[in-house]
Amino acid sequence: VIYSLRHRTTYRYEEAVTFARCVLRLTPRGSDTQTVLKSSITVTPRPSSVKEGRGPFGETTQTVVIDKPHEVLVIEANSRIDVHAKPTGDPLDSEPWEAVRAAAYKTSLLGPDGPAPFLYPTRRTPVEPAITAYARESFPAGKPIIAAAADLMTRIRSDFSYDPEATTVSTPTLEAFEARHGVCQDFAHVMISGLRGLGLPAAYVSGYLRTIPPPGKPRLQGADATHAWVSVWCGQARSWVGFDPTNAIMAGDDHIVLAIGRDYSDVAPIDGIILAPGVQTLKVEVDVIPQNVQREPDVRRPGSVGGGVRA
Amino acid sequence: VAADTATAGRERQDLEPSAAKRLSGWLRGYRPIQGIPDELFDRMGRPRADWLSFLGDFAEYPEREFKSRFDLATRHIRDTGVTYRIYGEDGERSWPLNPLPLILNQKEWKQIAEGVEQRANLIEALLQDVYGDASLVADGSLPAAALTGSVDFIQAMRGVKPRGGRYLQLYAADLGRGPDGRWWVLDDRTQAPSGAGYALENRLVLSRAYPNLYNAMNVERLASFFDGFRKGLAAAADRADPRICLLTPGPFSETYFEQAHLARYLGFLLVEGDDLVARDGRVYVRTIAGLKRADVIYRRVDADFIDPLELNSASQLGTPSMLDAIRAGGVAMLNMPGSGLAESKALLGFMPKLCRRLLGEELKMPNVATWWCGQPVERELVERNLDVLAIAPAFNGPAQDGAASRPRLVADLSPEEQAALRARLTDRPGDFVGQEVVQLSTMPVLRAGKLEAAPFVLRVYAAWTPDGMRIMPGGFCRTSERLDVRAISMGEDACTADVWVIDDKPVERMTLLASKEDVKVRRIMGHLPSRAADNLFWLGRYSERAEATLRLARSLCTSLMDSESAIHGAGETLTGLQQLLIDWGALDEEALGGGALEAARDALHDQTAYGSVIYLVRAARRTAASMRERLSADFWSLLNQLEKELTEGAQSPLSEAEALQQVESALQILAALSGLAQENMNRVAGWRFLDMGRRIERGVNTCRLARTFAHDAATTDDLDLLLDLADSQITYRARYLVGLALTPVRDMVLLDPFNTRSLAFQVHTLRDHLAVLPSLQADGMLEEPNRVLLPLATEVETAEAGALSAARMQGFERTLLRLSGAVADRYFLQGANAVPTVKLAGLA
Repeated sequence: VIYSLRHRTTYRYEEAVTFARCVLRLTPRGSDTQTVLKSSITVTPRPSSVKEGRGPFGETTQTVVIDKPHEVLVIEANSRIDVHAKPTGDPLDSEPWEAVRAAAYKTSLLGPDGPAPFLYPTRRTPVEPAITAYARESFPAGKPIIAAAADLMTRIRSDFSYDPEATTVSTPTLEAFEARHGVCQDFAHVMISGLRGLGLPAAYVSGYLRTIPPPGKPRLQGADATHAWVSVWCGQARSWVGFDPTNAIMAGDDHIVLAIGRDYSDVAPIDGIILAPGVQTLKVEVDVIPQNVQREPDVRRPGSVGGGVRA
Repeated sequence: VAADTATAGRERQDLEPSAAKRLSGWLRGYRPIQGIPDELFDRMGRPRADWLSFLGDFAEYPEREFKSRFDLATRHIRDTGVTYRIYGEDGERSWPLNPLPLILNQKEWKQIAEGVEQRANLIEALLQDVYGDASLVADGSLPAAALTGSVDFIQAMRGVKPRGGRYLQLYAADLGRGPDGRWWVLDDRTQAPSGAGYALENRLVLSRAYPNLYNAMNVERLASFFDGFRKGLAAAADRADPRICLLTPGPFSETYFEQAHLARYLGFLLVEGDDLVARDGRVYVRTIAGLKRADVIYRRVDADFIDPLELNSASQLGTPSMLDAIRAGGVAMLNMPGSGLAESKALLGFMPKLCRRLLGEELKMPNVATWWCGQPVERELVERNLDVLAIAPAFNGPAQDGAASRPRLVADLSPEEQAALRARLTDRPGDFVGQEVVQLSTMPVLRAGKLEAAPFVLRVYAAWTPDGMRIMPGGFCRTSERLDVRAISMGEDACTADVWVIDDKPVERMTLLASKEDVKVRRIMGHLPSRAADNLFWLGRYSERAEATLRLARSLCTSLMDSESAIHGAGETLTGLQQLLIDWGALDEEALGGGALEAARDALHDQTAYGSVIYLVRAARRTAASMRERLSADFWSLLNQLEKELTEGAQSPLSEAEALQQVESALQILAALSGLAQENMNRVAGWRFLDMGRRIERGVNTCRLARTFAHDAATTDDLDLLLDLADSQITYRARYLVGLALTPVRDMVLLDPFNTRSLAFQVHTLRDHLAVLPSLQADGMLEEPNRVLLPLATEVETAEAGALSAARMQGFERTLLRLSGAVADRYFLQGANAVPTVKLAGLA
């Protein structure tokens, strides 16, 4: 599927900001399941310097410096992506999860393609006995890893309520877990914490999800959102497999990968330092437009609470 | 054993009978632990030669003389030095020093030095490989997961060539002596080893306390090690005469004083993350003359905190884009970010194999036997032997839950903790290592006149120098208060000891004096960092305000004791004085109309009033503390003394006479401080900022005093008091024989350019300072501070005392405050209207 993507972020400041330095992680990642056909980023006001680099997990970054006073900062990324996800295959046809754990500790891959960087707790995905215990229910001895992780994903989807008002970008994972609510970021962090608690390598994926407008209604401009899900290393043979606990679906052709890291901090689309006295407001508009495809949505809506796809 | 030790005292035939008696008393009373090696006694229970030689000479100091010498030296160094201190509400804590050094002979030392040198080279090679092509991981010598658990395994540093080619500039190993008498490595320190500054300090104390003993024993000197260390850092730069910065986490770091001391001793610029700017692949220091390049950064901040943009985004200690500059090779940072990786206990078990693989040698000094549980065989071994092993976290990482933050004996854990540990070992085996429990040897410490055996750990330092790896001949030794020899029980209650390596031949004396050909004569000092300028400026303002407040308090006191005094009893003048103290925040509003003595006491000692003398002095001291490397030891100890006197004075209510005495003494100390600044401080930019702070404050205060006591309706009492407060009585009496009159008093206090206390004099001096400071305007236009000051200077010069309205005096005052803001805006890190740096946030 070829998508046209627009991701526009607008910061408005109460008082003029004199200096800003940001790292942008807004260029989608090329891989064997998606090809980046075109990608561009525009920043207004015009930065005094832009430096492109490569982040530690393979992401393309732009480091941008703006040194003239501004009250509005607009960052817009546009790209065309061809997504050609592999079918997940039979979940039962995967290694027992304990074998995956043993293989992860033994790996001789040091880089971000291998499991080693994703085995350990981080600030946002701590190992918490309560979360580990929750995850363990999906992992009886000898269960194939994909089936077990899918079970965990489905349980999160049904046990947690989707509530964009309940958490913020900095809500600790344990807090969201105990209250059983949050958004995609919280669900992904909970799932990762649970998996890592069991010694399994899991990564945080930031990206976009294609959404389908209600029947008969046109697509609304900017109505889409950024999304986050989990990628689990399922052993040498199956390698990385994507699980979307927000929607209880496997990541497929509707999921467009922006960046992969150990938790949200590694992949935050915009990370930066500004010199500002006042308050800021933030607006994010995302459009994910499939180009050459006329087909029924692949997105299931289990339970169909409120309808629609959640992000 | 007892018989042997009894004769030991007599082995020193040369001693005075009293010294021999003391020596044998010490030796007889000394009780090492059975089966544990001891530094003083050998296996046969006989004292070793070097120790006997030391203790014998040591015994010759009469008890009292020894004590006073040692206490004096300790106090002096502690007051001015680098001691481990925790800054808190209740002052600071210092780390006690054992009067006895740890004595090591050449043979012993050679073994240690060779072992540590090899280990430093081994870890350098390990880091080169891990951050280079990672062949150790690829060929299976090292599991990837044994690296990635460390917060100091920095993915972003893979493939980065360090400027200067090395990862480690300074390495330290914590050593203990095992039951077989061999030295063992307990831990590796590769992030930013601390303690070398304490070692220097400890050496200073002991060599001053008993210089004869020190000189007689051929103790190896430390200076050449530090000289090599400095040269090693300089060699990483790409130009001669590089600017070397010591990057510190700041005054709240528990080792800040050590860092400040090292910076001063080695001639490095002490900087915090805010002082630096990284741009275009280089790093610059913010100075009063603009941005100046930093060539080499000696890092004392944990790597995770050095760049909030790429690493830990919560860090307040770093510099955005620092990693970019390191990657670009525009700055050398040592130790390289990522070096801390080698502190992981997970790696200890691999060291023997890695040494063969990387250096082609056997490990010369073993490390504690350690098994990383991320490997199935090792984990099984650990689980089988859980009762006799210590369990420790395999990595220093964030978010490791409380299961075990330090090595602990499993046997010491509660049943619940043991169950939790076993569960964690199954779920996440890679988080743990099992370690053999090491027993430490003991050394003598002197407690209450007796020799006692104490377990100790020795930290030994290796530095890379242009001549290769060098080992500091000495080290940082910590002894435990408790007689528990298990290495893991070394706690917070440790004492320190100096470490003497005894040479067979006389040692060469050496200081950090450079050789003749190294030095170019120069008459400018390096550029003053903006932060230092800021601190000096405020030090000047605080101490001047303290002085002004003291003068007010003095007038209150004398009003009670001297019937001739201007404000004897009560009246308008007294009210004016109290009102001034209230306005300055030294007194509560309610104090108005209260007794003069209470007011004086409060103005001196009320710790909650932001304008009281004690508050101001503490603020001055805190400011001074954050730039210790720039102040002389004398300056620092005077400031400490001042705070101490005021703190003690606050303990009990003072009589008028006592309060007056306290004020006088405090004024004298302040006078001594400003004398030191005037006479002993180099006339470079630093001194100018200190003086500018003082001058602006004095100018503002003088205007304020003149408005209160030299308004158009001022009484003679008012004028008399004003001359007191402005310290101008003598000058006035000498010049005017007519007695007190409004216009001449006003002129003297405000406009007379020859009176060093007048407003005019302050303004002139300020103009001189600004004229000399560097300008950033390339177009030759005036900078803002001058734009504010010059009109004021003209106005003060042309004003007439008789016609000066209160409003104009207030105008002068306001202009000076505006000048203070303009100076801050122009020269300091963050201007007077500084805005805090905030993070962009939001799920975008």
